[in-house]
Amino acid sequence: MAAIVATDLSKTYRFHRKAPGLRGSIASLFRRETLETRAVDGVSFAIEAGEVVGFLGPNGAGKTTTLKMLCGLLYPSGGAARVLGHTPARREAAYLRRIALVMGQKNMLWWDIPAMETLLLHKEMYGLAEAEFRRTTDELAEILEVGHLLRVQVRKLSLGERMKMELLAALVHHPEVLFLDEPTIGLDVVAQGRVRDFLHRLNREYGTTILLTSHYMDDIEQLCPRVLVIDRGWLEFDGALATLVERAAPHKIVSAVFAAPVPRAVARAALPGLDAGDAEELLKISLTAPREEVADVAERLLRLGRIVDLSVEEAPVEEIIRGIFRPAADPVVAGGGRS
Amino acid sequence: MSAARTLRVVWRLTAVNVMMTLEYRGAFLIYMFNTVADPTISLLVWLAVADQGVALPYDRAQFVTYYVMLSVTAMLTATWLGSYLAEAIRLGKLSPFLLRPAPYILGMVGNNLGEKIIKLPLLLPLVGLVAIFFRHDLRLPTDPRAWALYLLSLPLAATVAFLLDYVIGSLAFWVEDVNGLLRIRTLLGAFLAGQYVPLALFPGELSGLLAAQPFRYTLSFPLEILTGQLSGTALAAGFAWQAGYCIGLWALYRLLWRFGLRAYSAAGA
Repeated sequence: MAAIVATDLSKTYRFHRKAPGLRGSIASLFRRETLETRAVDGVSFAIEAGEVVGFLGPNGAGKTTTLKMLCGLLYPSGGAARVLGHTPARREAAYLRRIALVMGQKNMLWWDIPAMETLLLHKEMYGLAEAEFRRTTDELAEILEVGHLLRVQVRKLSLGERMKMELLAALVHHPEVLFLDEPTIGLDVVAQGRVRDFLHRLNREYGTTILLTSHYMDDIEQLCPRVLVIDRGWLEFDGALATLVERAAPHKIVSAVFAAPVPRAVARAALPGLDAGDAEELLKISLTAPREEVADVAERLLRLGRIVDLSVEEAPVEEIIRGIFRPAADPVVAGGGRS
Repeated sequence: MSAARTLRVVWRLTAVNVMMTLEYRGAFLIYMFNTVADPTISLLVWLAVADQGVALPYDRAQFVTYYVMLSVTAMLTATWLGSYLAEAIRLGKLSPFLLRPAPYILGMVGNNLGEKIIKLPLLLPLVGLVAIFFRHDLRLPTDPRAWALYLLSLPLAATVAFLLDYVIGSLAFWVEDVNGLLRIRTLLGAFLAGQYVPLALFPGELSGLLAAQPFRYTLSFPLEILTGQLSGTALAAGFAWQAGYCIGLWALYRLLWRFGLRAYSAAGA
């Protein structure tokens, strides 16, 4: 059975717009323009238990809104969400005990006291037995390498350490489904890597189903075999990251470094369309080629001279993703009535 | 959540708040000084008035007893959650808590109890000093029943005050700024609770109204018990009002949160 099912899930926010300045403020007392924005517009997908799925999209695409509907913080305006057989918006205790949400920009831990105190609170809230609580805490603290920091005030911890503690606090009750909203935001490269390793291990060892949003493509590339791409509330893609890359970027980058410089005219003759710049002689040639022509291009490069290095690479995923999203238009889709 | 687990969660939250409050103990000492200073100044004013020979429904001893016990009673029944709650609702700070299987109100209960546990030992020596100063006029009840009734009315008073604030703060689900309303509640509430002037000193025509309004049950009622103003019937009626307000405000809180969370969840959480 799928752990997470979204069927035609939609969310419309209503808000008011007023003209700028004092006049606008006064006028808005009598007449306000009500606008609606469709943050999520009929999104459907299913995620099996044990999957790790990445949620991609530009800012304002509807990722966080979808995540919040799935964990029960937001009522959907339309469609339905089912997670572990529960309707999230009901926020039943039996449901909340089986999930967790970690938001990179909102903390759950109390700032002035050690993280251990929050863990002890969670022990009572989730009704965990002493032995089970100790075992889980020790285990998670060891994997996250924060055992020695459990009794240090949270505000004295580094950003990376704090994020690890947030994860620990969110996981102490062994949630079956973990929602992560930008879990590595603001962390340095090393800390990002540690958090990723941990999530990977969590999924492998405990079978935790993970749905995460991230702006860092490294998170997605290393953790998520499957991605959902959402843009302006629409689900644009659902499938393997490799398929997305192939579909979105039918080109590869072929680069060669030569032992001796190649005259520009020779290179251009062999590789029509090569943008060689102003240099008369080239020591390194790099060009994009359609996937089916990569072998041919490589062969032509080899004929230009003795090569010391040759590489064929995918275009950077980050660039590919950026390319998928069309320039954002005005997100306001429908002007409602006046109130 | 079972009652036992709720108590364990409240205890944990209280402990957490005690720890956090200890971080700011210096500031709390100053608050407690104010808590004692204000009633002492009022007391001095009333004693001066009484010395002028003005006929008042209170005698010297009653004034002293009332104001000396006011600081402790006011501290133990105080609330400060309204603006915090409103801010949590307005800025979406409620969200991390809403995903835990325990009601949000427990966090506020823990905060309230935790701070009071720290404040009490800071306050008592200061009150002791004032009591020693006015020892000749201080007349605390000797009947243990009066103390028992006072101790019974105290948590009820704290509950009425807490729920009043909680209900007003909860209006932030719909109203952008509830601070004005909270300020009115604080000023009017303090006045109608007998914080500045004992309710017995108000014009007699108002006594019916004063007895029915909720603020009396947040502070004045326990003090009226201690100063020995209440007959058997008045006592019973007072407790009935107090319990009634607890139940009514609780029901109102539940109703507001039922619809409020829907509004919160619709707006963006």
